[in-house]
Amino acid sequence: MESKKLPVLPVSAPPEGSVPHAPLGEGCFLGETQRPKAPKLREALATIKNWFRANSLWVMAYGTGCGSIELRPLTTARFDMERFGLAMRPTPRQSNVLIISGYLAVKSLKRVIRAYEQMPSPKWVVGLGSCTINGGMYWDSYNTINQLDLYLPVDTYIAGCMPRPEALLAGFGYLMEKIKKGEANGWHHYLENLDWYKENQKKVITAWDLPDYNW
Amino acid sequence: MKTIVDDIRTRFIVEWEHQQREDLRQIGVRPGTVVPLLGWLKLHSPFVQLTHMSAVDWIEEGELQLTYLLTDPVGMRSLMVCTRIDREEATMESVHALWPQAVTYEQEINEMFGICFPGSPRQGVPFILEGWDDMPPMRRDFDTVEHVHAHHPSRPGREHTDPRAYIGRVFGERGFLHDDD
Repeated sequence: MESKKLPVLPVSAPPEGSVPHAPLGEGCFLGETQRPKAPKLREALATIKNWFRANSLWVMAYGTGCGSIELRPLTTARFDMERFGLAMRPTPRQSNVLIISGYLAVKSLKRVIRAYEQMPSPKWVVGLGSCTINGGMYWDSYNTINQLDLYLPVDTYIAGCMPRPEALLAGFGYLMEKIKKGEANGWHHYLENLDWYKENQKKVITAWDLPDYNW
Repeated sequence: MKTIVDDIRTRFIVEWEHQQREDLRQIGVRPGTVVPLLGWLKLHSPFVQLTHMSAVDWIEEGELQLTYLLTDPVGMRSLMVCTRIDREEATMESVHALWPQAVTYEQEINEMFGICFPGSPRQGVPFILEGWDDMPPMRRDFDTVEHVHAHHPSRPGREHTDPRAYIGRVFGERGFLHDDD
C-alpha cells in the first residue's frame, strides 16, 4: 500500500540576522534562546539536573540570629518565596539550603554543623547579613564567630544589617544562577577539605563532643 | 505602694528607697535580709511573682549588685529589691525554694558574673558558654576585644572606629552623656 505523504506546510524564512529558536528539549530553559554548543551527554544531564536543583530549593526553617526576622515576610503572602520554588522544611533531612541568618554564637555553631552534615547532598549555605561576613556589629562579642566560611562552605553571602526580603530574593536568584551554571559546589569543597574545616571548628568549639561526621 | 514599703520597714531594715516610675519602686537591703524579705513578700503581699533577676558589676566599689524584680500581677506594679555583695567572694543565698524559675536565673548569673548560689541546682552547668575557660564575661574587667582576637579570627580589611573617640568628635570632647547630668 502506498504511503500517503503528508503535505509540507510552507514556512517563511527567518529575517536575515535573527537568531533561530532552539527546538524544545534541547537547552531551551526559561526563555534562554542560546543553544548549547554540542554538549556531551553527561554535561547535558548535569545541566538538566542543575536546572531542577536550582528550582526546588528547600530551606531549613532555622534561624540563628536577628536576620531570621526577615525570613518571615519572605515566606508569607507579600514576598511569597514559593513562587521561586523555595520552600521551608522542618528538618535537615528534608532540606538542601541552610541559611545562617545573622550572628552565630559558638553554641549555635555546634548545632548548625550537626544540621549541615545531616542534610543530603547537594546542599548549599547562604550567609545572611554582615555578621556572617566579618562579624558585623557583633565583631567584638566574646561568643560569636566573625567569619562563617572558616567553619562551613558558604555559597552565597547577602550583605546588609539586616538585608530586606528583596535583598534575600536577589541573593536566592544569584544562588539559583550559580547552581544552574554548576558553580555552587560548596558541599563538595567541604568534603574535600574536611580536615581543614574540622580543625577550624574544633578551635572555636572547645567542648567538642560531636562525631567526626554527623551522618 | 507607699503602705507596702512602710510595712516592710516595720519588719526589715531598708537602706534606701527610690520611686523609679509610678508603678515601679526600688528598695535596697542588706544581703542577709533578701531571702526573708522575699519570702515575706511572697506570702503576705501582692508581689507574688519573680519576674526577673539580674546583676550589675560595680567594679569601682568592689561590689556586685543583685536585683530581684517582683511583680504584683493584679495591681500591675513592680518592686525591685536590690542588694550588694562583695565582688571577690561573690556568694548569695538561693531563692529557688521560693520560686523554682530562679534556678535558671541563678545558673545564668553564675556563668556570666561568677556569683555562686550554694544549694541551687545546675550551678556550674554551662548555660550559654560551652567549654568556657576564661573569667566570667559580664565582669567589667573582662577584656572582650582581647578575647575575640585570641579566639575568633576575623576577615582582614575591616576598619574599626573607637566609640569613645567617635562620640567625642561628634558631640564634643565630653561626649554625649555627662556624668553630672
